[in-house]
Amino acid sequence: MVKLRARCLLLGDAAVGKTALSHMFHNDGTLFQKNYSMTAGVELLMKCVNIPETSDSVELYLIDSAGKQTLVEACEKMWGELSMLCLVFDLTSEQSFVNCSYWMERVRAHCQGLHIPGILVGNKSDLTARREVQASVAQEWAQSRGMEYHETSAKEKENCDALLLSLAQTFHSLYQERRSAIQNLSPG
Amino acid sequence: MIDPPLSSLGAKVVVVTSGDEEHPPENIIDGDSRTFWMSTGMFPQEFIICFAESTKVSAVTVDSYNVKHLKIEKNTSRYASQFESVTEKEFEHTDGHLQSNSISLNGSSATHLRFIITSGYDHFVSVHRVSVPQLPS
Ligand SMILES: Nc1nc2c(ncn2[C@@H]2O[C@H](COP(=O)(O)OP(=O)(O)O)[C@@H](O)[C@H]2O)c(=O)[nH]1
Ligand SMILES: [Mg+2]
Repeated sequence: MVKLRARCLLLGDAAVGKTALSHMFHNDGTLFQKNYSMTAGVELLMKCVNIPETSDSVELYLIDSAGKQTLVEACEKMWGELSMLCLVFDLTSEQSFVNCSYWMERVRAHCQGLHIPGILVGNKSDLTARREVQASVAQEWAQSRGMEYHETSAKEKENCDALLLSLAQTFHSLYQERRSAIQNLSPG
Repeated sequence: MIDPPLSSLGAKVVVVTSGDEEHPPENIIDGDSRTFWMSTGMFPQEFIICFAESTKVSAVTVDSYNVKHLKIEKNTSRYASQFESVTEKEFEHTDGHLQSNSISLNGSSATHLRFIITSGYDHFVSVHRVSVPQLPS
């Protein structure tokens, strides 16, 4: 049995649905609201996810960050040490997808060489008529960076569990990889 | 001279944050650097070594992997509380082999030694052996 703990940052442009997603996890979907105020700071919530077919689990400490450019400086100080990244864009906004590269860069600079595993999330999949980003394009972008890609709707509660599981599994695989590397180390 | 495993001297180890049943904290004091305790995410991480009796400690040797910064605290109490800081050290990064660091503790007496890993070179760190050179009594 392994109990892992990961600090996971939800990141992306303002209004892509980060807060809506995090509230989905928090309350198992019961708290979706039509009008959120723009996230002002950072919010932390914890979710424990079991890895299927094992007795292992991952405690995800999700940090919801403000996506408003002006608040980023202030919030970055509160990111702290990150274990993982959950990069979110809005499927109905091409610009929010393009900006994912910018967010990745911010995280890379923040973490000074430490590899941060992550996943890419295209949210608002319910707004099919307004879609601007094709799944294949997002999938390719994610794959080239070693990330899993998921599409969700925080509104329709679509696929949010898959997203959590994907985060947990990503961290779990990294742990297993590192552990076997350590088992093969030569003495100092 | 090879230092006897701390466990054979009646020492015990407790962790505050533990994760992997297959790599328990006891592996830190079994004298074998092939067995290890592994952290399972986020910092700080800490473990406490409790000696069977008050022990004079001139130095400790820590065999580890991916540990970046370590703080050591001690006390002389029967309980694992109210620690005073002793020293701290930044470890060099090693690739493919263990870090081995000897840390001087000025020969003070202790019943508990608390090791706090405040940062690592990776998400996970491992501690393979902590040994205490025996002082002539
Ligand atoms: N249609 C739809 N609207 C969503 C979805 N997720 C969030 N929203 C709406 O998008 C707006 C911004 O969401 P919010 O969570 O505050 O975005 P954040 O700034 O990234 O945290 C709000 O009006 C939400 O109701 C979704 O999956 N579908
Ligand atoms: Mg928000």
